[in-house]
Amino acid sequence: MNDAMSIPHLIMNASTVVQLVMLLLTVGSILSWVVIFQRTFMMRRARKAHRGFEDRFWSGVDLNELYREVPPEQETQGAEHIFRAGFREFNRLMPKTRSPQAILDGVQRSMRVAWSREEERLNLHLVFLATVASASPYIGLFGTVWGIMGSFQSLSMAQQATLSTVAPWIAEALIATAMGLFAAIPAVVFYNRLSAESGRLLGKYEDFAEEFHSILHRNLQGRSDAGGA
Amino acid sequence: MARRQARVGYGIPTLLAVGLHVLVLLLSVISLPTREHEPSPSSIVQATLVSTETVTDQAQRAEEARQRALARQAAEEAAAQEEQRRAAEEAATQEAQRQSDQAAEEQAREAARQAAEAEAARRAEEAEAETRRLEEQRDAEEEAQREREAEEQRRREEEAARQQEAEEQARREREAEEQRQREAEEQARREREAEEQRRREEQARREREAEEQRQREAEEQARREREAEEQRQREAEEQARREREAEEQRRREEEAARQREAEEQARLAREQAEAEMQRLIEGADERVANAQQGQQAANDFIALVRRAVEQAWRIPPNVSSGATAEISVRLGPSGELFVAEISRSSGDSAFDRSAVQAVEAAAPFAELRQLPAGVQRDYRQFNLRFRPGDVR
Repeated sequence: MNDAMSIPHLIMNASTVVQLVMLLLTVGSILSWVVIFQRTFMMRRARKAHRGFEDRFWSGVDLNELYREVPPEQETQGAEHIFRAGFREFNRLMPKTRSPQAILDGVQRSMRVAWSREEERLNLHLVFLATVASASPYIGLFGTVWGIMGSFQSLSMAQQATLSTVAPWIAEALIATAMGLFAAIPAVVFYNRLSAESGRLLGKYEDFAEEFHSILHRNLQGRSDAGGA
Repeated sequence: MARRQARVGYGIPTLLAVGLHVLVLLLSVISLPTREHEPSPSSIVQATLVSTETVTDQAQRAEEARQRALARQAAEEAAAQEEQRRAAEEAATQEAQRQSDQAAEEQAREAARQAAEAEAARRAEEAEAETRRLEEQRDAEEEAQREREAEEQRRREEEAARQQEAEEQARREREAEEQRQREAEEQARREREAEEQRRREEQARREREAEEQRQREAEEQARREREAEEQRQREAEEQARREREAEEQRRREEEAARQREAEEQARLAREQAEAEMQRLIEGADERVANAQQGQQAANDFIALVRRAVEQAWRIPPNVSSGATAEISVRLGPSGELFVAEISRSSGDSAFDRSAVQAVEAAAPFAELRQLPAGVQRDYRQFNLRFRPGDVR
């Protein structure tokens, strides 16, 4: 009896539809966990990189020097990406126009684009996590409903409706729900945690962009005053 | 700095995720059996089968049967040996009967009877009632046979005496005949002499010839008569001999038939005894095998009964957790409930009543019919102990 009611035995004896549902849920759970681990590592690394870049940025180093540290073809991430996009735009616009407003507008646009790309990069696959979190309970529920239907069909064929005739069916059906929840709960928790993390990072990027924008603005203001004078 | 590994690969996360799932699977496989054991006592809380009074009893009975069969086998062997000895004695007795006279035969029979009686007495001590009955029956038959044989012997002797008498008679008759013949011859001779004298005296040779003729005729007559007599005698002897032979034949046949019959009977008795012994041994074996096989089926049955009763049991409120009631249940041959009565009350009448009602509600235990036929009878009566657990 114990052996017949053990989880592997129940899974093996389940009907095909329920087995497919279980397989789908298992795959979803594995993929969601891959995403969770990958995102967690990536977030931690992005946080560390941002801290390092801010320290370096505010250490009083010359911006031109900072910009030239990295070859322009190399792709950068995070706040550095925003800084490079803004500074490149600033350097390109400076010889062409004398209007500081036009330069600042161009720099701001360019930084917004960079920020938007960063956002996309940080939130990559988080949608998948959200999908698993919201859909897998329903998929598990479908397996359960299907299994219960099977149990009632078998009940209609049995002469004696004892608990032992329906118990394996119901247990097997409930396993599908359990697996759905098993996939959904970590997905929900980590989706919330990771999206909060990415939101916090994006906020920091935005702050940095504003600060950089104000620095550029200050420089332009000084230059226009000098040019005007 | 951050630039060294700008991109986080998917290899390590994949490995980690798969490893996590395998771990969860292993945990579920390993820990589940132990977790399943724990709830089982609390779920069986309500009713426990106390005694089926059969499982142990059955084993005991099988043991007894085996011992009985062994004892009987020993007894049978002893009986067979005795029988052989008795057969030898019987043969000896018959030999003596045939050879010696009545007294010797009587003596031998007496000795045989004494020996047989001694044997029977010894046997009565060790053999079972059945075998004793068989032996006694056989004894009685033997006695009857012996009596019959004695009668036969007497009859045979009488027959012989009668035959002798007849022979004597025939001999006497023959002698008388011869006497008569001799007298007749004497007479004839005398007559002839007289005739001759007369012839010599008065007549010539013709008369003598006639006389001679007559004499010849007479002689012829006498000879014919003698021959006829001899023929008759021979026939009589032949007849007597045939009768004797027929008698002998009949006696021998009877003897043989009787002997055959006795042997047949003894053989039948032996076979019957052996068959019975075999049956007993087989029965014991079968019962031992049944006890094991039946126990398995019975365990299922007990579990079914217990579960059915558990499901039907509505525990009344406010029952102390230590209350225990025993219900003795008796089932019909197809599993219907005959009697459910309280064999040991818990002191709480509501609790007792609820237990009886549970048994009545669960009542037709149709699974009884699925038990092996030999075991069914044993599981028609059992006790159920009701004890409320902490779980309702």
